[in-house]
Amino acid sequence: MSDPSLKTEAEITWCKGCGNFGIFTAVRNAIEQLDIKHKSRQNFVITAGIGCHAKIFDYLNISGVYSLHGRDTATAQGIKIANPELKVITFSGDGNGLGEGLAHTLFAAKRNQDITMILHNNSVYALTTGQFSPLTEMGWEGPSTPGGSIEGPFNAISLLIEAGATFVARCFAGKIDHLTETIKKAVEHEGFSFIEVLQPAVPYHRWSEYNEKVDFLEIEPESREKALKTAREVSRYTLGIFFQESKQVYHKALYGDHNPTTKRLSKNERLKKISQILEP
Amino acid sequence: MANDVFTFLVGGKAGEGVKKAGSVAAHIFSRMGRHVFEMDDYMSLIRGGHNFSVISTSTRWVSSHYMHANLLVNFDKRSCETHINDIAENGILVYNSDEQERNEGIGIPLTSEAEKYPMKRLMYGVGAVAILSSAIGFKKNEMNAIIKQEYPRGIEDNVKFADTIYDLMNDQCNNKFPIEKGDKERKIITGNESISLGSLAGGLDVYYGYPMTPASTILHYLASLAENFGIAVVHAESELAVINMALGSSFSGAKSVVGTSGGGFALMTEGFSLAGMTEAPVLVVFSQRPGPATGVPTYTEQGDLSFALTAGHGDFLRIVASPGTIEEAYYLASELLELVWKFQTPGILLTEKHLSESSMTVEIDVEKARWAESKMHQTDSYKRYLDTDDGISPLIFPPSKEVIKWNSYEHDQEGITTEKADIIAMMHDKRNKKLSSLLKYLRTKNTVNIIRGKYPLNIFTYGSTYMSVLEALKYGDFKPSIIQPIYLSPLPVWELEEFKDQNNIVVEQSVTGQFSNLLKEKAGLEIKKTIKQYNGRPFDPINLFNQIKEASK
Repeated sequence: MSDPSLKTEAEITWCKGCGNFGIFTAVRNAIEQLDIKHKSRQNFVITAGIGCHAKIFDYLNISGVYSLHGRDTATAQGIKIANPELKVITFSGDGNGLGEGLAHTLFAAKRNQDITMILHNNSVYALTTGQFSPLTEMGWEGPSTPGGSIEGPFNAISLLIEAGATFVARCFAGKIDHLTETIKKAVEHEGFSFIEVLQPAVPYHRWSEYNEKVDFLEIEPESREKALKTAREVSRYTLGIFFQESKQVYHKALYGDHNPTTKRLSKNERLKKISQILEP
Repeated sequence: MANDVFTFLVGGKAGEGVKKAGSVAAHIFSRMGRHVFEMDDYMSLIRGGHNFSVISTSTRWVSSHYMHANLLVNFDKRSCETHINDIAENGILVYNSDEQERNEGIGIPLTSEAEKYPMKRLMYGVGAVAILSSAIGFKKNEMNAIIKQEYPRGIEDNVKFADTIYDLMNDQCNNKFPIEKGDKERKIITGNESISLGSLAGGLDVYYGYPMTPASTILHYLASLAENFGIAVVHAESELAVINMALGSSFSGAKSVVGTSGGGFALMTEGFSLAGMTEAPVLVVFSQRPGPATGVPTYTEQGDLSFALTAGHGDFLRIVASPGTIEEAYYLASELLELVWKFQTPGILLTEKHLSESSMTVEIDVEKARWAESKMHQTDSYKRYLDTDDGISPLIFPPSKEVIKWNSYEHDQEGITTEKADIIAMMHDKRNKKLSSLLKYLRTKNTVNIIRGKYPLNIFTYGSTYMSVLEALKYGDFKPSIIQPIYLSPLPVWELEEFKDQNNIVVEQSVTGQFSNLLKEKAGLEIKKTIKQYNGRPFDPINLFNQIKEASK
């Protein structure tokens, strides 16, 4: 089992049997294993949105910002831009990251921000009592759609590949080893890495619904076009890394090897430059 | 017209170089050692319409343009018609004689002369500079030096064209306005440049923005300086992203600043509230334009004061302050950055289009800037929200062996979410203690500018309207007291106590008198009269003087 110091003393309030436990375990395993490899635990920073997924913020003993609903990806980008030494993981839900925060998610991918986004996909607004989400199949009978939801879901994988993410994978909270390995790869990937994690919310879904359907990609597609095609063709329960490529990351394009926080100019250096500007 | 002020107005269509001609004129005056104030009036369009720039200059400090100009150069008929009542006594209107015939004024065939060159109407601005040069008795070689420097594209054509226009003007009116030299050359900057430089002086490390007039030029100016100062400047996808990115950067220990106008700030209020809860130091530059909604993008107003004072849901400490002059904007930007980091709460530098986008000659004591620093954690066992006597918890930034948790939910001292009654109340009290600490600190600072007058009459004003009031009273040689609160939240009531029951007049740019209401509610001031202007235009000093005189009766 993973290092106990990665857990806070906060009382865990996820439902018994919630898929979030699997994600929590895999994240701790991944951080511990990466720490052994890189001695980098102090460099990990997390952000979370609002929803059941986000409770992980209180449970994981890692620095970070418990952000607003949908804004965690923007917060994460701000952390990274200010200090690129930090390894930023943002936890999001399907409503959080693809509803309220859709623009921030797509733009983080478009910019190839060097952060990792773990999207807990329970296909429902769980904490707010079971409304349909951006990833819910059509026909969902929730409190806001008593006659069944009339909108189809996004395909998160093809959407993120199209937007510009350079590492895109789907995992399952019930396959902890696969999830752990994928998180490690995602964090080590330089660029925007996105993992959709299928995560049963037990008041609304049964584990058996997932266990029956999940399968793995036979081969990892070798180009963006093939990855898009595969993402559209395979079932929404197919796991694996759909796409990865190497591309310049945002902060390096912005300021190269600079670091605006640790390499900031002193007050005197600044005042000298300002005096020059203000010479008539 | 004030006798000691000379005013030049140039008007025409967008794309004809009106603003450039205005800025070149301003530089001609500043090189003569004179003080300058320039106001650019432009429409929200890219080509066509009607734009104009007014430049007032004097050998003394001048803090407003005058709408009555001594010399007006109009590139087109619309401009002539718009400014027909803006000619000062003994003033001269110069019009484009290819477009119209007039009985008064001086006609110059701008179009037919410009058509001789490939740049055509793009040369009108050069023509305006030539007309001004002739009118003020500027020598041709002095004019040519400036044209070569300011209009580097097609220098030869520009100089030839200017030469022709200068001669045409000389034939009709040479050296009509010989203006004397001033004491020394000063730098001309805009309000937004001053805010940008003050922020850099105060410690700005990252700036986020989404284009919105009249704040966009802060984004542009800082982007142009980014490499030189080693800062990150990001144009994000929305104001929602802007404020949340800024907050993330503060978490990393970067001094972050954002800029916007009313509509953009409306989107930022969600994140502004988050900054209140997480105790994130973030400075927002909020430059007002007429609202509500899209309002009038390129004009000025002070209708968002109440909004700024109460922005963001929840009970938390907001610092709001507004600079009265372009020079003060430099000092205040650095001071606000210092305050938001000292008290770990969001702050607003509230200003208006009139300050943001007007420019003037300045003398800034660069060294007088404040520097943002915070109380840092020193010992072991870190608690992000440690309850302290002054309510300020020490900061520490990642990477660190300590776990640092900033939390949007109500939280305990470690930053872990809580719903416990006693902790909720305790954390409210902790954050609220920062208000007392801030008040104590502000009492030692200059929070209100007071100019003591000769009459038992007080003029209260704030923001860029302060510059209008100063110029109006200089024009009228009338000396009531002028009181300009720099801080608006918390309002420095201790400085205002003495004026409570005196003869008080307020001058502001809001239809409902928001500033006047603030003074009544918070400081208990009796207000005899509120002079308001809310047509998008800044006050004209002469008009304002007359209104103050009338109100003082």
